[in-house]
Amino acid sequence: MSVRLAVDLGGIEMKNPLNTASGTYGFGWQFEGLYDVSCLGAITTKGCAAEPWDGNEPDRMADVYGGMINSVGLQNPGVRGLVATAGTYLADLSARGTAVICQVAGHSVEEYVAAVELFEELAPWAAGLEINISCPNIAQGGIAMGSTPEGASEVIRAVRPRTRRPLLVKMAPARVPEIARALEAAGADALTLINSIPGMALDVHTRRSKISRPTGGLSGPLCHAIAVRMVWEAAQAVSLPICGVGGVRSGEDAAEFILAGATAVSIGSQNLYEPDCAPRILAELAAWVEEQGATDVNELRGALLC
Amino acid sequence: MAIPTPSAGRLHDVRVVENSVIGEELRKLVIEDAELARAIKPGQFVNIAVSGEPRQLTRIPLSFAECDDELGLIVLVYAIIGPGTARLAEIGPGETLSVLGPLGNGWRLADDAKRALLVSGGTGTVPVFAAALALASSGVAVDFVVGARTRDLLWGLDELRAHISGDLIATTDDGSFGEAGFASEPALELLSERSYDAVFTCGPEPLMKAISNKAAELGVSCQVSMERTMACGFGACSTCAVRTTSGMKGACMDGPVFDGREVVWS
Repeated sequence: MSVRLAVDLGGIEMKNPLNTASGTYGFGWQFEGLYDVSCLGAITTKGCAAEPWDGNEPDRMADVYGGMINSVGLQNPGVRGLVATAGTYLADLSARGTAVICQVAGHSVEEYVAAVELFEELAPWAAGLEINISCPNIAQGGIAMGSTPEGASEVIRAVRPRTRRPLLVKMAPARVPEIARALEAAGADALTLINSIPGMALDVHTRRSKISRPTGGLSGPLCHAIAVRMVWEAAQAVSLPICGVGGVRSGEDAAEFILAGATAVSIGSQNLYEPDCAPRILAELAAWVEEQGATDVNELRGALLC
Repeated sequence: MAIPTPSAGRLHDVRVVENSVIGEELRKLVIEDAELARAIKPGQFVNIAVSGEPRQLTRIPLSFAECDDELGLIVLVYAIIGPGTARLAEIGPGETLSVLGPLGNGWRLADDAKRALLVSGGTGTVPVFAAALALASSGVAVDFVVGARTRDLLWGLDELRAHISGDLIATTDDGSFGEAGFASEPALELLSERSYDAVFTCGPEPLMKAISNKAAELGVSCQVSMERTMACGFGACSTCAVRTTSGMKGACMDGPVFDGREVVWS
């Protein structure tokens, strides 16, 4: 028996619920050769701004118990650079049936608007744009525009009129219900949560941070239970579709997000540990839908029994 | 527009042939995989998964020192520096490891060099060792300055001596073997006194910076192999950044070997 896996993530038609977390998946082409990337429902590309960014100084990552900490700082080639180097590949991937979601980075409302306008002009193959208002590594001392309902909705209100494409918002792991409500009111089509969790990892012998800045973003399995809880809270607060992200290693981990109310699920750090994990996780997720006696994964969204 | 070329790295389940002690902190790991051994070139690296250690979920990037593509054997040398490498050291012969490789761009060895200077420090010796064997087998006269903190961290000197035709100078920071001090001191002297066509170096950044800058001053080609903490090894995560004269590049896909003049040293 085959089960129906197609989902609609705020206007983004996905042939199955699996997506990739921005920053763990390059621009998609890096994974070709490891498996057929078009098995995924969607990919989300590395956040790009209107102009290229250098990102932070090395060291940019360290292993921590149950995951890793990073301080990449959204190094990116700019929207033009993305289109010049990966545009042909991404257009082809889209034609192969995988939705291409482009993440948008910025330091200010004006920069987000400029980047969205460039994507509009240069990336006709993009199925949607994910506005990253919650990178923990770009602002001095913490999370930027997305840390308050006012800041978050200001960005989305500004970019909303610039595109008809579905707008996703990458949310910080903080104040989830109230910011989710503000984003819904501001015109977002879907929410992606959670971004990495601000954390610290210190070398006590040298008394230095293990990365080039005092704080970074935690990702990996250590985040999973927190992310499931936050997806559940967001699903209670708003009617927007949600893409759950955080520590997915298996089909069961993905299924937890769906039970908590997510429409789609992104694979993040596991892409780095086990670069060919996506087909395995997809098969496990499909087997779970079948095991539950459902014929369509949409029947199980938010189907938590408590 | 062309589609970018993905890494040639593939996942291999390899058999561990040997994982032996060659110094208090140093281990020699021999793995067997015919396809990987045929594909990997000196200066490239592999990314190895260790299971059962929650403090090391990312793979461990390691360079190789020797490769026998007829026997399908690859020799990796690593230092135990944390929980991940400590877990790796527990893996015994006959066990299987998930290895992603070959990764990165290796040394450019086909430069028609007649005489090369090789300089290494610490575990940076591993990829330079592979370069030394390759250069020596193609008839290049090799002088090699190898440095370590202490005697216990030096390895492979007899084998190097048997292969290279030039001088082999060992240094230790504590003077427990060879010349006391850093590898940079005798290496900079050799660079000034002798005429080289090519320089290859890997080790601590101050060492590589000193060698690279001197080579540039003398107009001698210098390749440096950059070490960075990294997660994926194939261009997906942007953690292994190296600042270059043409912007940030990735040690995993653009390197680890760079032209020394291209690197902006900190």
